[in-house]
Amino acid sequence: MSSPPAPAGPAASFPSPCPHLASYRSSLSRPFRHLRRCLRARPLGLPSIRLDPLSHPHCPFCSSTCAAPRLLACLSCAQVFCPSHASSHPLASPGPAHHISVDLLRAELFCCSCHDQVYDRDFDSTVLRVFHDAFPITSSSSSPSSSSSSSSSTTRKRRRVDFHHWRPDPSQSHLIRTRSTPLHSFTNHPCGLRGLNNMGNTCFINSVLQALLHAPPLRNFFLSDRHNRFLCARRSRPRNNKTDNNTNNGDHLCLACDLDQIYSAVFSGDRTPFTPAKFLYSWWRISSDLASYEQQDAHEFFISVLDRIHDNLVEDQQNSNNNAQGDCCIAHRVFSGILRSDVTCTYCGFTSTTYDPCIDLSLDLDPTHITRHNARNGERETKQKHNKNLSAPTTLMRCLEKFTRPERLDNEHKFYCQKCKERRESLKQMSIRKLPLVLCFHVKRFEQSTMKKTLRKIDSCLQFPFSLDMAPYLSSSVLRSRYGNRLLTAILDNGGSEVGISSGASSEFEIFAVVTHSGRLDAGHYVTYLRINNSWYKCDDAWVVKVEESTVRESQAYMLFYVQKVLYYTAGDNNTGISTGIDEPT
Amino acid sequence: MSTSNDGSLTPRSQHALNCFDDLLNSIIADVASECHRIARLGLDRSLEAEEEELRLSQPSDSTRGGAGGTDGSSKHGVDIFGNSHPAVASETFECMNCGRPIVAGRFAPHLEKCMGKGRNARTKTTRSSTVTRSRHSRGSPVSVYAPYSRANGSTSGISEDLSDNNFEEH
Repeated sequence: MSSPPAPAGPAASFPSPCPHLASYRSSLSRPFRHLRRCLRARPLGLPSIRLDPLSHPHCPFCSSTCAAPRLLACLSCAQVFCPSHASSHPLASPGPAHHISVDLLRAELFCCSCHDQVYDRDFDSTVLRVFHDAFPITSSSSSPSSSSSSSSSTTRKRRRVDFHHWRPDPSQSHLIRTRSTPLHSFTNHPCGLRGLNNMGNTCFINSVLQALLHAPPLRNFFLSDRHNRFLCARRSRPRNNKTDNNTNNGDHLCLACDLDQIYSAVFSGDRTPFTPAKFLYSWWRISSDLASYEQQDAHEFFISVLDRIHDNLVEDQQNSNNNAQGDCCIAHRVFSGILRSDVTCTYCGFTSTTYDPCIDLSLDLDPTHITRHNARNGERETKQKHNKNLSAPTTLMRCLEKFTRPERLDNEHKFYCQKCKERRESLKQMSIRKLPLVLCFHVKRFEQSTMKKTLRKIDSCLQFPFSLDMAPYLSSSVLRSRYGNRLLTAILDNGGSEVGISSGASSEFEIFAVVTHSGRLDAGHYVTYLRINNSWYKCDDAWVVKVEESTVRESQAYMLFYVQKVLYYTAGDNNTGISTGIDEPT
Repeated sequence: MSTSNDGSLTPRSQHALNCFDDLLNSIIADVASECHRIARLGLDRSLEAEEEELRLSQPSDSTRGGAGGTDGSSKHGVDIFGNSHPAVASETFECMNCGRPIVAGRFAPHLEKCMGKGRNARTKTTRSSTVTRSRHSRGSPVSVYAPYSRANGSTSGISEDLSDNNFEEH
């Protein structure tokens, strides 16, 4: 069993050793190294002290009727005792260094004189080494993109650069003055707020568009003219009249250009609702399978749009298909992250790791979880709805915990263990290897009902925070907790090193958009709540209305959009900065 | 648990109870040790922030608006710019497929038929672009293309359309 996952915040460090631990350390040249052969690591359990199977360690000072829950062994003389009789040991034993003992079953250090569990970096590193030797983790790639990323890790790893304020030189100033239009900033309303007309069951389009329009990295990309629709090579392709009919896939159409047009329109200062007709036309031409008048799923639309933008832009830049690193197009640079999947054989402990890119996280709603909040605040329990939903509202953090929890694969999905050379029951655990700039959570509200073979909607409310720290769900945190939260600056992982979050990198996110779905599965409505300058606005097709925080919290979130609080820059091609998310080096 | 006549446990039951106690105490010590480590090493999340978020999101005693319209001002009054909007968007523009003026609020169903997609659209048996153009030039008083003659065989772009047009009409 692994410890609960915990973030390695800036405060994560070893406390300074107690004087007894300090004196023990100074008495040895390489403290704790000799313990290596005494430690034993079991496949899925905690490390423990290797015991002779025939031995029966017990505390000689305790009466035989009450067994002690913990047994300690002195590091100097191997005398076994329980914590209540520990303090007498250093006094009774000759020699200086009998203060430190070790828990037999859990391999934790215990100071007899301080009567407390103590922690030491070298001891933890020794324990981790034992683990690593016993259960090495091998890494394999399942998809071509991840294999190319690991093999070209030296090339894709750009060094981080400091942020410098940019000042235009005189020629750039002239260009800005003559060739650009200032963004209107009304004193009352922030710029970029504009309703979108519903063209006939297109609220699923409008809701996602509003979220995309206000995703800061995407917005900045288009507003700083990084894809100019008047200069787009794709759009200016010569049209061949003979072949240009509706059955073609529209080679001259560019969804990025249409999006550029929408950005210009929405930030123009014109407040009358805009009709994204050209966007709809282009999207239908390019994705003919999704072109129909009926209401569609906003999440599917979101995926489709990002895919189409990728298709449109990748040709232009002639970049390799390197989705994972986000070098291919702006859609992937903004939304693409990397997921790590570990499958562990429960029999021998062998773990196989794969990496896959992802542009969003689909989370299961977990309505049956009983919250500890209920257990402690008895009076709240009576206020909870005792009708259809007996449980407390589920939270995003809980969904993420479930996402990164080790899951026992059932008998049908036995994993072929390379070490055992046969199919074994295994544990699977997901974690996030690389966070994207913008994190999109998709709440799986539409589930297949096994009885009726239909889709049904889960209405339960999902609590989501406005500030989110993703550190506990990162691969480094999950891995560390798997090893009992042994702190180390580098966890050895197949020769490479996976550094935990160092100071300066941030895993903190801020929410900026919520796409909600209300109503039934077949007759529902999508609405987006946008957070601009700490005020919330409800974008309901053409209507933009200011709302209270509580309205947003009580809504039925279907898609949640978070953006990284702090952006870091890596060296670009021509020495300009490219904003990038935090990246855990291989 | 079997008991002897005087109500105390049999030795066997006592042993079983002792074993259970051992296991339970061991598990409790496991959890205590793990939590102690997390707390000492500074790994615990800020619980206060989490509880604050939970407290903020507790549903108020008023009924939760299922349709998300609890603010109430969206469909009745005005938006933040002081404007109100009809249920069906009334702006009109030209369809980029057939060129006809279409009302914005009905653009999607029109486009579906116009482009020949979707369940309810008629299947097109001929080159669809020419059919729509012929429909347009027959029906609409506004002609986007140059006025056509019935000449055949010329090679300019417009005439090619016209020849197709002629081809379609019979």
